[in-house]
Amino acid sequence: MQTTFTPEQLKDPAIARSNEILRSCVHCGFCTATCPTYQVLGDELDSPRGRIYLIKDMLENNKKPDEETVKHIDRCLSCLACMTTCPSSVHYMHLVDHARQYIEDNYKRPFGERLLRWLLAEILPYPMRFRLALLGAKIGRPIARLVPDARLRAMLEMAPKIIPPVSRNDDPQCFAPDVRRRKRVALMTGCAQKALNTDINDATIRLLKRLGCEVVIPKGAGCCGALTHHMGKTTESHVAAAKNIRAWISDMDGTGLDAIVINTSGCGTTVKDYGHMFKQHSLADDAERVAGIAVDVSEVLMQLDMPDGADKGLMVAYHAACSLQHGQQIKTLPKDLLRKVGFGVVEPADSHLCCGSAGTYNLMQPAISNQLKERKVSSLEAKKPDVIAAGNIGCMMQIGNATSVPVVHTVELLDWATGGPKPPALVDAKKPLPEIPGLR
Amino acid sequence: MEMPAPNPDILARKSRLVERLQAVLPLESVVHDPSATRVYECDALTAYKCPPLMAVLPTTTEEVSAVLKICHQEGVPVVPRGAGTSLAGGALPTADCVILGVARMNEVIETDYPNRTIRVQTGRTNLSVTGAVEENGFFYAPDPSSQLACAIAGNIAMNSGGAHCLKYGVTTNNLLGVTMVMMNGDVVELGGSHLDAGGLDLLGLICGSEGQLGVVTEATLRILPKPEGARPVLMGFDSAEVAGACVSDIIKAGVLPVAIEYMDRLCIEATERFAKAGYPDCEALLIVEVEGSSEEIDEQLSVILAIARSHNPVELRESKSSEESAKIWLGRKSAFGAMGQINDYMCLDGTIPVSALPLVLRKIGELAEQYGLRVGNVFHAGDGNMHPLILFDANKPGDLELCEAMGADILRLCVEVGGCLTGEHGVGIEKRDLMSDQYGSADLEAQMAVKDVFDPAWLLNPAKVFPLAVSAPRRESLAKLV
Amino acid sequence: MTPNTEAELADMLAATNEPLAIQGGGTRGFSLGGAPLTLSGLSGIELYEPGALTIVVRAGTPLSEVEAALACENQRLPFEPMDHRGLLGTTGEPTIGGVVAANVSGPRRIQSGAARDYMLGVRFVDGAGTIVKNGGRVMKNVTGYDLVKLMAGSYGTLGVITEVGLKVLPRTDAAACLLLDGLKDESAVSAMSEALGSPFEVSGAAHLAKGPDGTPVTVIRIEGFVRSVDYRLGKLSEILTKYGPVRVETDVEKAAAMWAAIRDVEPFHDVVGDVWRISCKPSDGPTIAARLKSRQLIYDWGGGLIWLLVPADMDVRAQLGSYDGHATLVRAELNTRERLGIFEPQPLPVETINAGLRAKFDPRNILNTGLMQTRTEV
Repeated sequence: MQTTFTPEQLKDPAIARSNEILRSCVHCGFCTATCPTYQVLGDELDSPRGRIYLIKDMLENNKKPDEETVKHIDRCLSCLACMTTCPSSVHYMHLVDHARQYIEDNYKRPFGERLLRWLLAEILPYPMRFRLALLGAKIGRPIARLVPDARLRAMLEMAPKIIPPVSRNDDPQCFAPDVRRRKRVALMTGCAQKALNTDINDATIRLLKRLGCEVVIPKGAGCCGALTHHMGKTTESHVAAAKNIRAWISDMDGTGLDAIVINTSGCGTTVKDYGHMFKQHSLADDAERVAGIAVDVSEVLMQLDMPDGADKGLMVAYHAACSLQHGQQIKTLPKDLLRKVGFGVVEPADSHLCCGSAGTYNLMQPAISNQLKERKVSSLEAKKPDVIAAGNIGCMMQIGNATSVPVVHTVELLDWATGGPKPPALVDAKKPLPEIPGLR
Repeated sequence: MEMPAPNPDILARKSRLVERLQAVLPLESVVHDPSATRVYECDALTAYKCPPLMAVLPTTTEEVSAVLKICHQEGVPVVPRGAGTSLAGGALPTADCVILGVARMNEVIETDYPNRTIRVQTGRTNLSVTGAVEENGFFYAPDPSSQLACAIAGNIAMNSGGAHCLKYGVTTNNLLGVTMVMMNGDVVELGGSHLDAGGLDLLGLICGSEGQLGVVTEATLRILPKPEGARPVLMGFDSAEVAGACVSDIIKAGVLPVAIEYMDRLCIEATERFAKAGYPDCEALLIVEVEGSSEEIDEQLSVILAIARSHNPVELRESKSSEESAKIWLGRKSAFGAMGQINDYMCLDGTIPVSALPLVLRKIGELAEQYGLRVGNVFHAGDGNMHPLILFDANKPGDLELCEAMGADILRLCVEVGGCLTGEHGVGIEKRDLMSDQYGSADLEAQMAVKDVFDPAWLLNPAKVFPLAVSAPRRESLAKLV
Repeated sequence: MTPNTEAELADMLAATNEPLAIQGGGTRGFSLGGAPLTLSGLSGIELYEPGALTIVVRAGTPLSEVEAALACENQRLPFEPMDHRGLLGTTGEPTIGGVVAANVSGPRRIQSGAARDYMLGVRFVDGAGTIVKNGGRVMKNVTGYDLVKLMAGSYGTLGVITEVGLKVLPRTDAAACLLLDGLKDESAVSAMSEALGSPFEVSGAAHLAKGPDGTPVTVIRIEGFVRSVDYRLGKLSEILTKYGPVRVETDVEKAAAMWAAIRDVEPFHDVVGDVWRISCKPSDGPTIAARLKSRQLIYDWGGGLIWLLVPADMDVRAQLGSYDGHATLVRAELNTRERLGIFEPQPLPVETINAGLRAKFDPRNILNTGLMQTRTEV
C-alpha cells in the first residue's frame, strides 16, 4: 500500500517500522474474516484493515488522535488472528502497539478512563496488590449490580469466588529434577496468575521436575510488561520487562539456562517480542538473547519425551488461547501432548476466534467481551466435553466465569496423567468425572 | 483514473442526509465522521481511492429499502459494498456517494438439505456458507481465492468464479433466487428455490451486473454434496510453454479434473514463505485436482499423470494427506496477498482460449521486459482465466502509470486472441476504459439500456463498467433533470 | 423472410414495421401471428476448438449437425436438450438457435445445468435492427452485463439470435440406471433427493407415475468411466435399498433409450390432453401435483420438474394456487394458449422490469409480439 511519510518522519525508528509494515499491506481484506470484533460489530472500522487505515492516517499526518480513532483502536483485542490470516505477513502487532503508544502520548482520555487505566496498571502486575484488590472485589460482589459503570461492574463480576492462599512454590528458589537432569529451565511465575490460581505453577513445576528439569524461580523476575504495554504505557512496560531481562540474564550468565518456560501464553508472546521492544535500547542484545530462549511450556514438554498414556476416557475441549495460536503460532503442540498422554481432544467451531478475555479487555470493553465469551462458551459446550483446557489464565477465568464445565490449564491435565494430583477444578466439579484408572 | 466531479449540491446537504438516514437505521449504523469514512475509501484495489460522503450499515432488507428510498429521493449516488475485497475497484466510492455496506447482514435464513439449497443474507462470507452446511456433508461450490473474506453480495455482483469452476461453474450457475432492492426502494423477488425461474432470465442478468442494477440482500444458493475425496497433484515444469501445453492435452483427453491451477516461480516463492505447502522448485507449477473415491481418483490420475509425464516434468507429486492438500490450496489461494511481501501489485483477470496460453504467457514475458516491471502469473489454467500480477512501487512516482499501461496492453492482448478483459473480478473501475476495446458502441448501448430500465437515474455504483465518455450523454441529461 | 447473413437480417429488421414470428426449425410449437422470419439461412459451425471445450455456431444450424460434429471429438452438449417434435406433433429440424432462445434443457440439467449455463456468447439483432454481441468464446467472462443469459430463454422477444458460443464437455464412457418400482410420489421424490444428496454424482433422477408396464417406476442415472459407474451403482444401491428392491440397468443403449423417452416426455406423445411443465422445489412436487384432480404426471429433475397431462383447456394455474415455482403451458389448442397464456404471470414489479427491457430491445414491439407479456397492466 502506498504511504506518504516524509523523509523527516522516517528518521524516527518507530515510524520507519510502521511504514515498513504499512507498505506490506495490500488491503486484500482477508483479515476482516477472522477478526472477532468485526464478526461482532460488522463495521470495517472495527476490523484490522480499518484500524490499519486509521493508524496510517494518524501517523502519516502527525494527527492528534480523535475520539473515533481511539474508540476503534481501543476495541482491538490484540488477539492477532489477523496475523495468522494475513498472506502478506503484515506485522499488525507491532503496528497496533505503536499506535497505542502514540495515543497514550498524544491523547487525553476522560478522567474516569484515565483513573481506571491507572488503577489497572498499578494493581494487576503486582500480585500482592492484586490479591488485596480481589479480596475487596469479593466483598463488593453482592453490590455489583448497583454499580453504575459497566467496566467497574465487569471487574467485580470477574473476581473469582475463591482466592487461593499464596503459594510458596512461587518464591525464588531452585527445584531439583526427580530424575537425571536433562534441562535447566527458569519458570516465569507471572503476576496476576499467581494471585488468581496457584495450581498452574504448582503443576508446571511438578511436571517439569518429573521429566528431568531443574526448575529455577529467578529472583527479581515479575510481570512481563504486557498489561501496560497493551495500554500504550511504554515506560511502565519497559521497566517491568527490563527487570525480567536482568534477572534472567544473570541466571543465563551464571549457572546457565536452557529455556525460560512460560505457562501464560499472553506473557509468552510479549517475552518473545522483547527483542523488538528493546531494539533501540542498551539492553537490546540481552533482550534478544532472552527472547531467543523463551518458550511456551508446551514447546519444552514436547522436547522432553512425554510418556504415552492409555486412553483415559475423558474428553477435553481444547481452547486455543490467541496469544498461543496467533501470537506464538503454537497450534498443535498442546493438543498433541494431551492426546499423547491419553485424553480425547475436541476443538470448538471457529477455534480461531478470541474468547474476549484479551488481557484487560474484558474489564475495559465488557460489552464486546461478553458477546465473544458467549460465543466461545456455546461453541465449547456444543462439543459436550468433560473438561475445558487452555494455556492462558486470562482465557481460563473468562470461560470459567460462564460455564459449569470445569476449566483447567493444559499442564494440570498433563501433570495428572503422568502421576500428579487430580486438578482441583476437577475435584470440585459438580459433574462426576470418570476416574483415570492409571492414577489410582 | 478519471472520476466525475462530485455534485456540490449533495455535499452541501450532508447533514440533512445523515439525519434522514439515522432516522431509519439502528444506532452506530451511519458512518459520517471524515476520519472514519476514510476507511471506506477503497477496496482491495488501492491504486484508486476516494472517501465517500458517508457509509451506512443496515441489517435487514427493510433497512436497505429505506436507505435506497431516501437516496433516490435525494438524488444521491449509492455504492453497494460487500466485504470490500474487489480487485477491480467495484466498491470504489465517489465523494458524493453513500456506501451501502451489507457486512452486518450475514445470517443463514434457511438450509434445505432435501432440496439442496441454502438461503442467506448476502453479507455472509463465501466460505461461511460452506461452513454452515459442511457438517451435513454439503458445500457451496464457487470458491474465489478470497472466499475466506468475500461476501456473497460481491460474488453475485461480479459473478465470481474460483479454482473449482472448471467442474462446478461460477456464481450464476449456482444461484437460484434473490431478494433485490431497486434503487427506488422497491423490493423484488427473482427466482426462488426451483430451477429455471420463469419469464426473462433476470437472475442471470443481475449476476455480474456489478451492483448497478439493484442491491441483492438475500440469496438462495445451490449446495452440493461433498465428494468422497479429492486429491491435488503438483506438477512442476521447466517452462510456461510446456505447462500450457500440458493443460491443453489434459483437457483434450476427456478426463476433466475439477481444477487446473497455474503458478510461476515468483508466485511459488512468495506463497511458499506464507503457506509452506512444499511446492516444487520450478518455473511453472500446475496444481491439478480430481475428486471421487480413492479408486476413482487413482484411475483418473493414471490418465492425467501419463499426460504430465509425456511433458517431462521436473517434479510430479500427489498429495498424501488432507493436511497436505489443505496447505497446497492455502498457498494457491493466498497467492495474491503473498505478493504483497514483495511489492505493491495490480492483479489482472483476462480470460483467453486455453489453446492460446503458451503464446500469451510468452508475450506477457516480453511486455514485462519492455516495461521493466516484474510480473507474477497465477491463474485458473483449466478455463484460461489468467491473473498476471504486475509488481510496482506505489511510493515511486510514475510506477503506477507504467503498471496501468502494461496492464492495458496485456488485456488488449487477451481480447486479440479471442478472450475477454475480465473472467471473474468484474470490470469495476480498473477495466472501465478498456471496455471499448472489447465491445463496439452498439454492444455497450445495449448494456446501458438495461441499466436505464433498472436504475433510470443512474445512481447505483456510478462511474463503473462503462467508459465515462460512453455514459456521458446519459449522465449529463440526468444531471440537467436534477 | 429468410436472411442469409446477419447484416441482411439487420437491414430487414430495420426496414420492417410488421410483427414477425421468428422461427428456427419450427419444432417448438409457437404458431404466432406475424410474418415468419426463418433463420435457416444463417447456418454453419463458425469455430470448434475441442481442446478448449468451445464451439461457436450460427443460430440456424440444425442441432443434429452440431451434435454430430461434437460426437466426432467425443464431446457433447452437456445440457441434453429435449426434442419437442414428438410431444407437439411438429415436424422440421430443431436448430441450435431455437434451443438457446427457449433455454431447452433435459434431464441432465439437475447435475450439469441448463442451456443458459453453457452459453458463452451471443450475437443478436435487436428489434431496431442493431447488431449486438455479448460474451464471447471463453469459459469465464464477466466483461459487462450478461446479456447472454438475458437472451437465453427470451424466446426471440428481445432480439433475433444469430450466433451462439457454447461450452461443451467430454462424453462419458459409460452410463447405467438404478430403478425402483412401485413408489408413491412422496417416497419417489425422497429417494431421488437422497440419491442427489449423495456424493455419487447422479446425472438424472426421474419418476414416472405410470411406467412402461403401467406401474410407477423411479429411475436414477449415473454416468462416467466404467469402473466409477460400477462403484457408484453399488454405493447408490445401498442407499436406495430401503425404498425397495433396486434393479440395475447397465445396457448403455437401453439406458440411453430410457432417458431419451423421459427427456422427450414420450408417455404423453399422441395422447389427448394439454401438457404443462411445472418448475418447483422438488420436495413440494407431490403436494402441488395432488392439488389437481385429474392428471397424469412425470417427475424429472429429482421432482423439481413436473410434466403434467390434463384434460384440454383446464386452467392448471388456478387449481395449483400458490407455490414456489411456475407453470408453463407447453401443448394446447390456440384458444387455450391465448386464454391462459403460455407463461406464468410474473409479479407486477418483475413484469414491469420485463416490459421495460422489451421496450428497450424491441421498441416497435415486432419480435414475437406478446409472447412473453404475462400481464396487460404494464
